[in-house]
Order: sequence, then C-alpha cells, then structure tokens
Amino acid sequence: MSSTDKTVLASAGFHGDVLTLVKRIGVRMQNYEYQHRKPMSTPACAQMLATMLYGKRFFPYYTYNILAGLDADGKGCVFSYDPVGSYEREHYRAAGTASALLQPFLDNQARALARIPDYIGRKNQQGVVFEPISKERAMTIIKDVFTSAAERDIYTGDAVDIRIVTKDGLEEHRFPLRCD
Amino acid sequence: MFMTRSEYDRGVNTFSPEGRIFQVEYANEAIKLGATAIGIQTNEGVIIAVEKRVTSPLMEPESVPKIFEIDAHLACAMSGLNADARTLIERARVEAQNYWFTYNEPMSVESVTQSVCNLAMQFGEGSDRESGSMSRPFGVALLFAGIDKEGSSIKPQLFHADPSGTFVSYLAKAIGSGSEGAQTALQDAYDKAMSLADAEKLALQTLKQVMEEQITAKNIEVATVKVNEETNMPQFKKYTHEEREEALTRNGVTTAQAATASE
Amino acid sequence: MSIMEYNGSAVVAMTGKECVAIAADRRLGAQAQTVSTDFQKVFQMGPKLFVGLPGLGTDAITVSQRLKFRLNMYTLREERDIEPKTMINLVSSFLYERRFGPYFVEPVVAGLDSKNQPYVASTDLIGCPMETSDFVVGGTSSEQLYGMCESLYKPDMAPDDLFETISQALMNAVDRDCLAGWGAIVHIIEKDKITTRELKARMD
Repeated sequence: MSSTDKTVLASAGFHGDVLTLVKRIGVRMQNYEYQHRKPMSTPACAQMLATMLYGKRFFPYYTYNILAGLDADGKGCVFSYDPVGSYEREHYRAAGTASALLQPFLDNQARALARIPDYIGRKNQQGVVFEPISKERAMTIIKDVFTSAAERDIYTGDAVDIRIVTKDGLEEHRFPLRCD
Repeated sequence: MFMTRSEYDRGVNTFSPEGRIFQVEYANEAIKLGATAIGIQTNEGVIIAVEKRVTSPLMEPESVPKIFEIDAHLACAMSGLNADARTLIERARVEAQNYWFTYNEPMSVESVTQSVCNLAMQFGEGSDRESGSMSRPFGVALLFAGIDKEGSSIKPQLFHADPSGTFVSYLAKAIGSGSEGAQTALQDAYDKAMSLADAEKLALQTLKQVMEEQITAKNIEVATVKVNEETNMPQFKKYTHEEREEALTRNGVTTAQAATASE
Repeated sequence: MSIMEYNGSAVVAMTGKECVAIAADRRLGAQAQTVSTDFQKVFQMGPKLFVGLPGLGTDAITVSQRLKFRLNMYTLREERDIEPKTMINLVSSFLYERRFGPYFVEPVVAGLDSKNQPYVASTDLIGCPMETSDFVVGGTSSEQLYGMCESLYKPDMAPDDLFETISQALMNAVDRDCLAGWGAIVHIIEKDKITTRELKARMD
C-alpha cells in the first residue's frame, strides 16, 4: 500500500511488481508536480495507472490494484483495475486472492451505505432505510470482511493495514488478523 | 540593432560579446512584421482576435487560418510565419491529447504553453526532423487562450509565447505589427471586471485602430473560450463569417452598410 | 473449462438451534447460456434429511436416483430412517466406487439426526467427507459462499434467523457468479416441520 495525503493505492499480487509499480507511480507523481505545478488528482492518477498497466499489456505487472482518494469535488472515489489496465470508478471493491469471498459481502452490506443513487436499501434486502455511511461503520465492515477472509483464504492473514482519506488528511490503522 | 550586425548574427549557437543571440532577436523582429493578434482575459472566458492580411482579392481568406483550436478548452492565435506556427500548433495539440490520454483531464493552459516553448527553444545544431525542431528559431509568436477548470471553479488563462521560448501570462496582450499601439490601447481600456462582451468590443476596436486595411468580417478572425452552459465545460468557439459581421456591427466597429459594402 | 463448471451451481447448508437449513440456486446452463431456471439440485432423502448435489447436472440426476436406490435398500434392510451421519458415509463410499471415473458432483448433506441435533457435511467428487459444526458449501459459487457464510454465520440461530442468513448468503453469492443464480430454493428442517421457500432473486 502506498499513498499521498489525497490518494491511496492498494496493490495485491506479485510483490516484486507491486514494489516496482509503486515506485514508478511515485516518480510520475513527483515529476507531474514539478511540471504542472500542482499535485496529481486521484482521477488523474487513476487514468495514469491505467495507461501504465496497459503499457505492459504483453508482459503485465502481476498486480491487482485499487486506487482510492478524493476527486476534484472532494467526493470519495474508488478505482479498481485488472492487471492490464481495465479500470472503473466504483463505490466499493475487493481485490486479490480473497476478492471472490469479500465482494458479495460488500454488495450486501456496503451498497446502500456507499450512497448508490439508484438503489435504496442494501442488496437483496427490502425495507432497509437509506443511511449515509459513517467512518466507524466502514471500519467495522472492513474489519469483518478481512476477519472472514483470513478464516478461509490461506493467503490472507497476519494483519490488515487500513488507510482513511478525509479532507483533513490521512489516517493509518493496523488491525491484527489470525496469524496462521 | 542593425548597426551592430556582425559575425555573431549568423549562428544560433554563439552569443555576441554583448550577450545576445541575434537570430532570436531577428525572429522577434519577424513577428513585428506579422499581422496583429489580440487576446483579452475576463472572468467569463478569453477572447482572441487576429488581423488577416488579404493581399489579393482573388485570395481566399479562409485558407490562411490565424486562430487554431488546440483542445476544446484551449485556443491559439499566431503572428509571424504561418508555416512555423503550424509546427508549434501540431506540438501543442499532440501534447494536449497525450496529457488527456494519460490523465483523463484537460491539460492546463500553462502546461501546453510550456511544452510548446520547450520545442521553440530547441533550435540549433542537433535538431532533426524527428524532434520537430529546426536549425533556426521559430519566427512566430503565439497567444494561448483557454480555461483551466479546478473542480467547479474556472480559471481563464492567457499566455504569450515568443521565439526564444519565453512565455508570460497576461490579462490582455497584443502581438504583431500593430502590437505597440494595441498594447497601449489595451492597457488604457482593460478592466479586470469586464465581461466577455466588453472584451469583444475592446478587441475589435483595438484591432480596427491598428489595422492598415479597413476592418471587415473577411480580414479578421475571432474566437472565444468560455464555459458552455449545457455541458458546463470550457469550449472553444471560432466566429463564423456571419458572427464576425454581427460582432463588428454590434460593437459599432463597422456599420452594417459598410460590412455589406466590403463584400 | 472444468466439467464441474459446465452447468453452474450453488448449494449451501447451515446449522441452527435445533434446526438446519439447505439452500440451492435453480439454474442449469450450458457454460454461459442458461437452459433452465427450475432445475432441482436438492433432494429429500428422509423425513428430516436432504442432499444437495452441485456440479454436473446430468450426474446430479443420476446420483440422486442411485442414492435413493441405496437409501431404499438401507431403509428396507434396517427398517428405520437413516441417520445423517450414515448418509454421508453412504454417499462417500458410493462416490469412491467411481474413484477413477467419478460422478462430477460435490454432495452436501443436511438434516436432523434421531436426537434432533442439526448435522451438515459435504464430500468432494470422489467421496472425501467433511463434517462441520457450522456450514458447508458447494458448486461454482463456493468461494463467494464461504465469504458470505464466514461473515454472516453465528451459532445457534433460530429457524427464522437461519432462513434469513442462508438466503442472504446464497443470493449475494450467486449475484457475483455468472454461472449460478436465476432463482433459489431454501429448505428449513425443524424437528416437527419442514419449510420450503422459493426466493425471489435476480433473474439475470
């Protein structure tokens, strides 16, 4: 995981590629700031990451990425990728070896909370009142899904790093998982 | 200046003992022979107006464009050698599109200007076809007029770039043969709070003042960059012949009769 | 593509307090093409015993019939209902007979035993049994089901709660699996009654 105060990247997969990719993004972001005299916005970084990944279309970075941050309007944004640069802006996303385990749970629990406009209520649930997500609720969901993933996915465990981007800056947390 | 002509005015890779590079200065002179171009910045957007020298009644004025669209949010007016301008315009367009491709947002006006100036200062030996640069400085000055958007706020921008690769931001700027008179006129009349309509009037009136020919819809070009109300995005718009006629009469620069008479 | 993923399927079973539930999707497809949306994957094998057969549709039918055959023989010989524990062993040995040419199903067994204690278990396609105290899953959506069950399950749920939990687990799991879904069926087994419900799920 790597971040500026506005943009956070979570990158799963082959750690060698993860390190290289994160370093290259860092270089690009720094040069961008020198050249254009402004920090790179999260959506700009999202498009850049897509072109970087697609640039290695035939010898890809073996990485599964999620980029998150705030957009120009100060709204939260999540961008998810495949290893060769297909990307999409979403409200929530799970990636990596346990993605198949986590994604349906997020559908179920996070959908209404993530303020999806055309959908009132959580997925497959009726009569649930729309409520904006609180930071605490988001944290609870995240801790729950990772605890579950650590239970069944042999590649997930030990600890989870959590970073929260707000208009006031970045928060960092580490939450322990089962250690086997 | 022509008194000091010497060996040093031949090459672009040698300073004169006074610390000058003559070829660059001559390039600046070449621009002073060019048609006048004016750019004015307002809070609503930017307007550029350019004189076009119609040297023969048989010439088709549309075939000599003076204002170019670089991107939807960015216009460029030129004065000087038309052919040189095309090279720089091409670079600006490529850079703007590359930036959009990489970052999925419009390139800032300053960054486009910077990238064009990078090319403009690459004259001299070692320049080749591939890099797009030439053995001499470009004989053209450019006005980049556009709008930067930061979230919901808009920031109109106007930059002047000269053959040395120097660029400066202006509220209002004139280049070309009539630039001295025009710049003074702009300085006197410019008001930070003026509307784009006011700026249109000022630009056309100033242009009329400094042009040798009688100003008509045929021997000028006008373009604006302003926010499109429907899309809420900055948009380049070049005036059509009819719109130019209208603008000239609207601002009392020519009478409707005179505009028709010049047909 | 794996033959286990040819038709698409999702089956899950869960224990509660003196009750047990088994649920399955209803799709039968030929790879991505949906052929049927009322395909039976769960079979009643006793008054308080169900077997789910996710995997290859044709084998699910054959296995259900051959299991029923053996079950009938057992019941006639023993003159009593089979225990769920015995059922899983029957399934296991039956599948292992075809060790080198298996039926492509991963059976899931759910029931109450003679003491009305909940029981769930599953085997792989060659009959390796796995008995758990909480839940078992099978089919193309098994990863998604594991994720859902692992987060939603809590021990000793009442029948109502168990129904809601298993339904949510199944529906949200199959919504992230293009090979499974298209309706779902849930059986809740209690000591004195069996409730069967068809769920109104996404049909796409």
